[in-house]
Formats: sequence, structure tokens, C-alpha cells
Amino acid sequence: MSDAIQLHSETVVGHDLHHDDHGHHHQSFVSKYIFSMDHKMIAKQFLITGIIWAIIGGLFSVLFRLQLGFPGESFPILETFFGNWAKGGTIQPEFYYALVTMHGTVLVFFVLTAGLSGTFSNFLIPLQVGARDMASPFMNMLSYWFFFMASIVMIASLFIQTGPASGGWTMYPPLSALGQASQGSKAGADMWLISMALFIVSQLMAGLNYISTILNMRTKGMSMTRLPLTIWALFFTAVLGVLSFPVLLSGAILLLFDRNIGTSFFLSDIVVNGEVLPNEGGSAILFQHLFWFLGHPEVYIILLPAMGMVSEVLSVNSRKPIFGYMAMLGSLFAIAILAFLVWAHHMFVTGLNPFLGSVFVLLTLLIAVPSAIKVFNWLTTLWRGNIRFTPAMLFGIGFVSLFISGGLTGIWLGNSTIDIHLHDTMFVVAHFHIVMGVASMFGMFAGIYHWFPKMFGRFLNNTLGYLHFWVTMVGAYLIFWPMHYQGLAGIPRRYLDKGNWHSFNQFGDLDKMITVVSIVVFAVQLMFVFNFFYSIFKGRKVTSTNPWGANTLEWTTPINPGHGNWSGEIPEVHRWPYDYGKDGREFIPQTEPVGANESKH
Amino acid sequence: MQHTESASEITFHHHIDEKTFKRNVIRTTVILSVITVIELVIGLIIYTMHKGPDPNTYVVLAFKGLVCILTLAKAYYIVSVFMHLGDEIRNMIMTIVVPLLLFVWFIIAFIVDGNSYKNLRNDYDKHFQESTTPASHHGAAEHAPEPEAPKPGKQ
Amino acid sequence: MATTATAQTKWWSGGKSPFNTEYGKLMMWYFLMSDAFTFGAFLISYGSIRFSQNFWPDPNAVFNAFPGAGHANLPLAFVSVMTFILIISSVTMVLAVHAGHNNNKKDVVKWLAWTIVGGFAFLGCQAWEWHHLITGEHATLIDGTIQMVGQTTRVNPWGDLVHGPELTAALQNSTQHTLAQIVSEHSHTYTHDQLMGMPKQQLVDLVNEAEVHIRRNGPVAFGGYFYGITGFHGFHVFSGVVINIVMLVMTQNNVFENRGHYLMIEKAGLYWHFVDLVWVFVFLCFYLI
Repeated sequence: MSDAIQLHSETVVGHDLHHDDHGHHHQSFVSKYIFSMDHKMIAKQFLITGIIWAIIGGLFSVLFRLQLGFPGESFPILETFFGNWAKGGTIQPEFYYALVTMHGTVLVFFVLTAGLSGTFSNFLIPLQVGARDMASPFMNMLSYWFFFMASIVMIASLFIQTGPASGGWTMYPPLSALGQASQGSKAGADMWLISMALFIVSQLMAGLNYISTILNMRTKGMSMTRLPLTIWALFFTAVLGVLSFPVLLSGAILLLFDRNIGTSFFLSDIVVNGEVLPNEGGSAILFQHLFWFLGHPEVYIILLPAMGMVSEVLSVNSRKPIFGYMAMLGSLFAIAILAFLVWAHHMFVTGLNPFLGSVFVLLTLLIAVPSAIKVFNWLTTLWRGNIRFTPAMLFGIGFVSLFISGGLTGIWLGNSTIDIHLHDTMFVVAHFHIVMGVASMFGMFAGIYHWFPKMFGRFLNNTLGYLHFWVTMVGAYLIFWPMHYQGLAGIPRRYLDKGNWHSFNQFGDLDKMITVVSIVVFAVQLMFVFNFFYSIFKGRKVTSTNPWGANTLEWTTPINPGHGNWSGEIPEVHRWPYDYGKDGREFIPQTEPVGANESKH
Repeated sequence: MQHTESASEITFHHHIDEKTFKRNVIRTTVILSVITVIELVIGLIIYTMHKGPDPNTYVVLAFKGLVCILTLAKAYYIVSVFMHLGDEIRNMIMTIVVPLLLFVWFIIAFIVDGNSYKNLRNDYDKHFQESTTPASHHGAAEHAPEPEAPKPGKQ
Repeated sequence: MATTATAQTKWWSGGKSPFNTEYGKLMMWYFLMSDAFTFGAFLISYGSIRFSQNFWPDPNAVFNAFPGAGHANLPLAFVSVMTFILIISSVTMVLAVHAGHNNNKKDVVKWLAWTIVGGFAFLGCQAWEWHHLITGEHATLIDGTIQMVGQTTRVNPWGDLVHGPELTAALQNSTQHTLAQIVSEHSHTYTHDQLMGMPKQQLVDLVNEAEVHIRRNGPVAFGGYFYGITGFHGFHVFSGVVINIVMLVMTQNNVFENRGHYLMIEKAGLYWHFVDLVWVFVFLCFYLI
């Protein structure tokens, strides 16, 4: 190649375009609040949609906990609301399975993927890397609206006569592929698949945007190793999504074909209600492979943003640099790679080749290494810090606690020998709810309490925040800790009624307790939602641009930043984001040039 | 919000001179065509071997492996020259090539498990084995399908 | 090439693209990478299913037709035409992108138009091939009788060849109509009506058991994957053609001329080459091995 190169002058100043116009232009309600291209507004749209979904998904869990805690008892109010789904006030089997399936789908995809990384990637990436907006604000807007359409389809499926998908959130065929096999595998399953296809499109557009913004739109001086760990975590989250969601798309398309045009990708040798199906030659295990090739990275799509935000919150509120920045970064990277190599540990008892299974055991156990590195780094960040127990900080610490408790049981389940005993028991439910569900929720709460002042220019109410934290924290352990014992005793998950097994009856009271606690915890979440919306309008006003004394760039913007974030030039960055308690100063923002006599970090 | 307009992210622009460009395109077109022709020839060889009385499984397998390698070569030329990835900065090439390594384990695991599924069914479902395994042909000069050997269903 | 510049520039220090690439091109590349995982998942699933079967049809026995060539046995012929169409359309796209770099509107239009022609030609070929496979009538032994079936997503006529007593018994069990069809495929001595009027035994005797290729039904997944994957690829070709048409219209309307650069053509080009790239692998997996 003999390309001639013309070096243009290197005077490349951020991307300050004609943004100053934007702020002053009068924006209509529609372009400001609905079809907004401002990343901050899109973030709020994701957050509020996520909250609505979380209430729906949480309510589902309360309903099926009623059945699990009080089987056979009648709650006439349920019949008032749900009619035939809860005939005589007891939850019918179809309803129960629909509730469980939708609880999983909604929480995993709509709340903890779109609501968590959708909110904070949108909100934090441009603000923390120093950009006016996302690389492509238009695609960003489209991404939200695809998510919105996916939501509409999923919501609509709740109201059709045969009910929503109810074959479990993993949608394993053959159950999910055959309408004659169950109510929920009729139209509801098609809608589930269509909704997921829309959701995947949304995630791809969002992920591509996040990646190219982080790579291309960093402000001057913001080298990759000066990025806050939040951005690194969100970056790897986006990479995971871009590479793994398409595989679920393939699986969903093939499943749609199996359902609607008589192909046999996943079906073989099936008899339903005495009818012998003509399908042959497919493999149900193949779908599980395709599903978990997404499904496992999905776990980290959910967890990594929480890890990143907790790292930031812990460091800011300990007034100490994050311990082992490069180790944190390296372990994020290692987790991102390993996420793609371990998917079949969800499938040890499916008839997976046992030798292949042992390779997956090895790869799975490797994840313990970067996870442990992260845990120790969080603990050493806290060690001897000047800790400020803000609600965000409490949720951050709670995250670390839950991540340890849930992570340790992951080591049990990662071993195929133990998994054979524990598979599909309440132990698994306890494990993934603690490590992935509740822990990520805690990361999300930490993020909301920490960045709420930046989002809305007001604080959340602290007292309600503390109440929220303590009840949720204690409640989470009360709900999920006993489930370990149930699982070890062999109680299967997904069962509507365990009354026929005498050996399980001893756990009846425990189940009652779990149900009562989960109702209390759900009520406290509603209190948080009240706090959230109340504080948007009536919360204590933020008076300084940097209320937490943090180093990162978002706190150099005005209290209520307009579209374009900085009113003047985008600040230049001179240091990493974790100079806390250095040279006798409490914090040194990233924008401050390195002094002549400054000690090295 | 037209970032493209100013493309402030760009430091310099490539300028490719006409002659080099022409030469590159012609060369790549010829290479792609030649590889495709070779692939077709191998395809026909495999076809005639299948037609023969006693196809040697390993030779067929070797030929199939060869086609796979040739296909990767074609992919390399399309991506590197036609898509100009070869002209990009090395780090960018890496961000695109390195994630593709995930395909290695993706392919191995899926194929191994597919093969294992067959073996399991042959062991425990005799009906499956009898009804799907092709009967041996006594000197039938037709395109006898391969005996048991697994076919490489690569990539 | 870029080495001189790399040495002088701190690519990662922020304020510029570390790859010297506008974000749009970067997004297109990463989108293509994720799309590669979609196609990869399809093809790997196909491989997995193929490995889980004791028998898989020989592609050369399936894809041996050529438009206008009747029943002639021409394995690989048609698909090589399709492959060359895509390679050539890729070359014209490269030329269009290059013309765009030189801000040469006339050449952009010319080469884009040829690319679109190539895209339509490919889609036409695919439509013919699908039509031929679906409507084709192949004598297939299903449940003891011979039926004439095409390649669909529910049935596969490319199983193992049937011989000897089993074939004779199957012929006895089959309908007059089917037998007449089998006979008239190989000899034109009698008209269809004459064959239909014959006693069944005479008809069976007319069938030359050594000559007819009667197969069992093969693995159903073959059709599903073939139509699924080539269909998904065809959908990409179609959307690529649509994108190219949009680009052509925009070029004609001087949109890029006024913008001062033809970078959009470059991104459309990346997509189009990717379609070609995927075909290379589809070609490998379905037709060659």
C-alpha cells in the first residue's frame, strides 16, 4: 500500500458543534419529553419504564408467593381481579406458570437489562467520558422506542385469552413450541418471541451506540485508563450484548419457525395428548445451547453495570481511591470473556455430553478468580476509609455482601457433580436471585440514589432511603437464605403445590414466612417508588454542582444540564477519576491539571 | 446533531492512488475467482468419490477440510481488501478479529454435543439407529452416502 | 501505511477517534460483527443437527438442476453462477465506494446501478432454486408406498436409495398415478393416459428398477435449515439491494454532493460485502461439504 497520508492539523476539539443553539431553542413537549434525542431524557425514559416493569414483575412474584406460602387457601380478592385465572380465589396452575414465566422475563430483560444498563449507560456514558451526547442520538432514541414496542407486545400478551407465555422464562421447547401442550404456548409464546426480537433490536442499537461513544467520543485527555470503572463496566456490558443477543435472535427465529411453519429444528419424537407429531430429527438441547449462549452473558449484562456503579459509589463515599484500578479492569475483562465460554453449565442434566460438561465445569470455576479479585478490591477500598453512609453507599455495601453470599453458592452449582443433586431445586432459585437479581437491584438502587441529584436536580428523601435499604437488605436475606435449605432438602422449583410430599411439609411454615417477608419487601419498594416520584417534584433541591464531592466529569456540568451537557467548552481531563484523599486534599476532580509537586498515584 | 458533518474524530484522511487501487481490485477479483473454481473442482471430486463403489471416508474428509480452509482464505480477501479492513489502524483490526475467536469454542462445543447426541441415541434408541442408518449397498454403483463417519458441518 | 502517523499520534488519549474512523463506520463494523454471530448461530446449529444424524443428504444429489436443462444432472453448476454473481457485484460495489472517495458522482451512480442489477440477479436465481426444490417431484418411499414429493420444511426426499425386494414391494403398494409418473420420467414410449389405462402389474414391470432413483425420506431438518439460512441470507441481500437503491436515489439527488463526502456509500458498501462474505460460508456449508 502506498497510501499518501495527509496529516491534518491536530486541533481537534471534542465535538463541540452547534449545541449552544439547542439549549436556547424552544422545544415542544413532544421533542423534549417523548421523542427526545437527549441521552439524559432517554435515560429517564428507560428508568421510568423499568420502574413500571419492576412493579409489574414484583407483583407477579408476590402473587405466586401467595400460592407457595399458603397453598390451598382462598383469597377471594384474586378472583375479583383475575377472574378465571384465580377461580375461587386460588391461583390456577396455568396462571401460576404464567406468573413465574413473566416474572423471570420481565425482571431479567425489561428491568435489569433495559432498565439498568439502558438507564445508566445512556445517562453516564456521555457525561463521564465528556461528550455532548451519544454518537448517534437518533439511534439512541430508536433504541428506546424499540424497547417500548417490545414492552407493548409483552404487555398485550398478558391480556389475551390464552394468557402470556408460560413455559418458563427460558422458553424451552418442546413445551414452548407446541400450542397443544399448554395454554401459554399458544399465542402468548408467539408474542413473547416477537417481543424479544424487538427487544434484541433495541439492545443492539443501544449497544453499538455505547461502544462507539466510549471509543470515539472521549474528551481530550480522557484516555481509556482514565475512564471511571462505571464506563468500563458499561463498555463490557455493551460488548456482551452486541455479541450474544444475536444468538438468541437466531434461536427465537428458529423457534418461531418450529411453532408456525412445521419445521423440526428443536422437535423430535413427540406425543402430545395421544397425538403423534410428525416432527423428527430436531434437538431440544440445541435450543438450550442457543438460549444459554445468550443467557449466560446476559447474567453479566445484568451484573456488570451494577459492579461498575458500586465501584464508583464505594470509592466516592469512602473518600479513598478505588483499590486496584487495573486489577478491577482486568477482572471485568476476564469476566466478559469467560461469560462466553461457560454457557452449558446451565445444562448439566439435559443429556449434555458429560465430558463436554467437565470442560464447562473447569471454565465456570475460573470465573471465581476475577470475581474474588473484585470482591477483595471492594473490601480493601472500604478498609480504613472515611465512610459516609449515604443510602447509595449502603446499597453499594449491600451489593458486595449479596455478591459474596450468592457467588459462593455459584461455586457449588458450577460443579456438575453437585449440580446434579441441586439442579432445579430452590437452591438454584436462592443462588441466582441473590447473586444476580437482588445484587443487581442493589447496584441499581445505589446508582439511582447516587445520580438522582444529577438526573433531576433534587435529592431523594434520606430517611425513606435508609428505611428502604434496611428493610430490603434484611428482607432479601430472609427470603432467599431459607431457600438454600429447602433446595438442599430437595424441594423442586416451579412446583405449584408440594402438599403431596410429606417430607416437604416441615418447610410449610418457612414458606409462609418467606411469603410474608416478600410482601413486606414489595411494599417497601412501592415506598421507594413514591419517594422517587415525590422527590422529582418536591425533593430537597441540589445547591452545588458537586454534592458528593466526586471527581468524575458529570459533576462539572450545571446542576440541570441542558442538551449538550456543558454550556461552554467540554472540559479537558488531566488525571484518573480516583484521586481521593491525596496530598491532604479530600478530592481532586479529573479536570484539574497535575501539579508540579504532586505525588504519584 | 450531525457529527458526520465535521467528523471531528478523524485525524487524517487516506488517499489511495488510482493505479494501486485498480491493481488491488483486479488481483483480488482474480484470486477470489480462482479459489472458487478450485472449490468447485474439489466439490466435483467429492461428488465422483461418493458415486464410486467405496468412498474413502478420510480422503473425503481431507478434501472437505481443504474447502473449509479455502473458504477462510476467501473470507480473508473479502474482508481485508473489499471491506478495506486491511487499511485500518491495527488496533481496530484487532477489535474486529479478536472477538471472532469466540467462534472457536462456539463451534467445537456445539458440534461435539451434536455428535454426542447422535451417539447417545444410537446407544439407547435402537429404533432410531435402525431407521436412520443407511443400509450397506452391495456394490450398488449409486451415490452411496457415506457410512457412519460424521460429516464436517463446519461453521 | 499509517505507521508514520501512529508513531506521532497518541491515539487513545481522547479528543479523537482511536481508530481514525467516524463513529458511523465503527457502528457498521460492530453491527456486522454481531450479525456474523446471528449467521454463525444459524450455521453452527445446522452443523450441530447434521452431526446428530446418522445420515445426511449429499448436496450434489440435491442441487443438480440448472434452468432450462431439464433433468440433466449438473451438480454445483447453478450455485457457481450465483456465487460469481455475488463476487462480481461485490467488485462493482468496491468501485462505487472508490468513486465516492473521489467525489465522482457519475461513477458512483454507474457502479451502484450495476451492483443493484447483480443483487436482483442473485435474488432471481435464489427464487428459481427455491421454486425448483419446492415444486420438484421426487419419487420417495414414505411409509411403504412411493409418493411424489418436493423438498419442503416438512419432508425431505433425499434419503437413502431403496433397492431389491423392498423396492419391488413398494412399487406394488403405490398408486397407478405415481407409477405412471415414474415410468414417464425415464421413457416416453407411452403417453400418460396410456399408462393410466394399463393394468397395474404391467406398469410395475415397466419400471426399470436399476434405473429409477427412489429414495427414502431423509432428515427433515435439511429443508428447514436450507430454507431458513438461505432465506435469511436472501433477506439480507434484499435489504442490501434496498439500501443500495436508497443510496442511488440520494446520489442522484445530489445529497452526498452537497454534503461534501460519500461516506454513506462506504457504509452501504460494508453491508453489501458482508452479504457476499456470508454467502461464501453458506456456499461452503450447504453446497460443498
